[in-house]
Amino acid sequence: MKAKHGLLTLGLALLCAAVPAGAHHGFSSEYDEKKPVEFKGVVTKLEWTNPHARFYIDVKDANGNVTNWNFELASLNSLRRNGWTQFSLKVGEVVTAKGYAALSGVPMANANSVTLADGRSLFAATNAPSVQQSPTAQP
Amino acid sequence: MNQKRVRSAVRTSLVATAIFAAAVPLLLQAQEGGGRGGAGRAGGDGAAGRTGGGGGTDAPTTVNLGGGSSWRGVVPDGPVPRLPDGTVNLAGVWQGGGPSQNIAQGLARGETVPILPAAQQRMAARTVFDNTEALCLPAGVPRVPSNYPWRLVQSPTHSKATHIFMLFEGNIHSFRQIFMDGRAHPADLDPSWYGHSTGRWEGDTLVVDSVGFNDRGALDGAGHPRTTQLHVIERWTRKDLWHMVNNITIDDPGAYSRPFNVTFEATLRVGDELMEYICNENNQIGIAGGYAK
Repeated sequence: MKAKHGLLTLGLALLCAAVPAGAHHGFSSEYDEKKPVEFKGVVTKLEWTNPHARFYIDVKDANGNVTNWNFELASLNSLRRNGWTQFSLKVGEVVTAKGYAALSGVPMANANSVTLADGRSLFAATNAPSVQQSPTAQP
Repeated sequence: MNQKRVRSAVRTSLVATAIFAAAVPLLLQAQEGGGRGGAGRAGGDGAAGRTGGGGGTDAPTTVNLGGGSSWRGVVPDGPVPRLPDGTVNLAGVWQGGGPSQNIAQGLARGETVPILPAAQQRMAARTVFDNTEALCLPAGVPRVPSNYPWRLVQSPTHSKATHIFMLFEGNIHSFRQIFMDGRAHPADLDPSWYGHSTGRWEGDTLVVDSVGFNDRGALDGAGHPRTTQLHVIERWTRKDLWHMVNNITIDDPGAYSRPFNVTFEATLRVGDELMEYICNENNQIGIAGGYAK
């Protein structure tokens, strides 16, 4: 009986964990899945807002030029269900962000994952077609 | 069940629980008025569907959570919950059940969407600004219920409902109401996003008949158009504790040459609750796409 109860808890925990990305707007109308980007930079701002949270990082290129990149995250409820809080990113923190660049060419990206300075990695709940499942949903 | 499997299950459970420490408590009896710990009972015509995606065995199965997400593991079994009077209890937090992405995904094998040429042109001319969901306007029927979590509420809660409400977390906070008291559709309906819905039981299947729609929005995220002639019939059947099938008939002579059927499935989100989602708080639609509007 205990074993069955434990198994049930496992199932429920993981069912709760497996939250699909919010798909407020279509990924393909805004971002290019063929343009993956990865930047290490300093967090300058976090917008903990709906329909999509955003964070901004200053990224320095080889010539020392700094570009402020805008990374779009999922909705707050999707992020919450994937383990994020408004305190997950702090201004001044160095993070590594992966995502897909904007179609328009402006320094924006749809975030896929964010690795914090302490090494923790957070799923960004992107709605990119190729990223349909939270890694945390894996048993 | 062997001890190794139990230890593995407990380890995994602890990891998941740690990751989601801020999440809501896991309630084993999450079904209002029914379910394992409630007034539900096994037996009857709709009891305990051990169907394709269901559980009830120690073998891992894949659970479709909608929106392209899935989870694989051992799923506990459970009967179809019922109210004290024997009516199937559909209450709870669900996810999926409608054509969020493309209604063609719900067609039977070999079927196609019988779209008329004018509707096809309208769909082809669609831009991001015709996607009402992206504009934080209602997605409409049958696009919702969608991949955002939603709650089905029956009133009264412990006997056959006179009203059923679908409360939507997204794409905007809104609701559908289904009149279960035998009334007919009014003859003078104003066109609206969610239309006018009446419901009845056919055995264990909830049949929802909806008319009175506006021509804004679309049937799905792909933009299949709808017109004011749209008539939607949803047949909701809870096949086991975890799954509720929605067989939908679309009849819209303004956009499609004949009625057609699609099938989608909602999955129960035990232990989850609806959360706030204010879509138009900081909507920046179009910026990354380069649109100037």
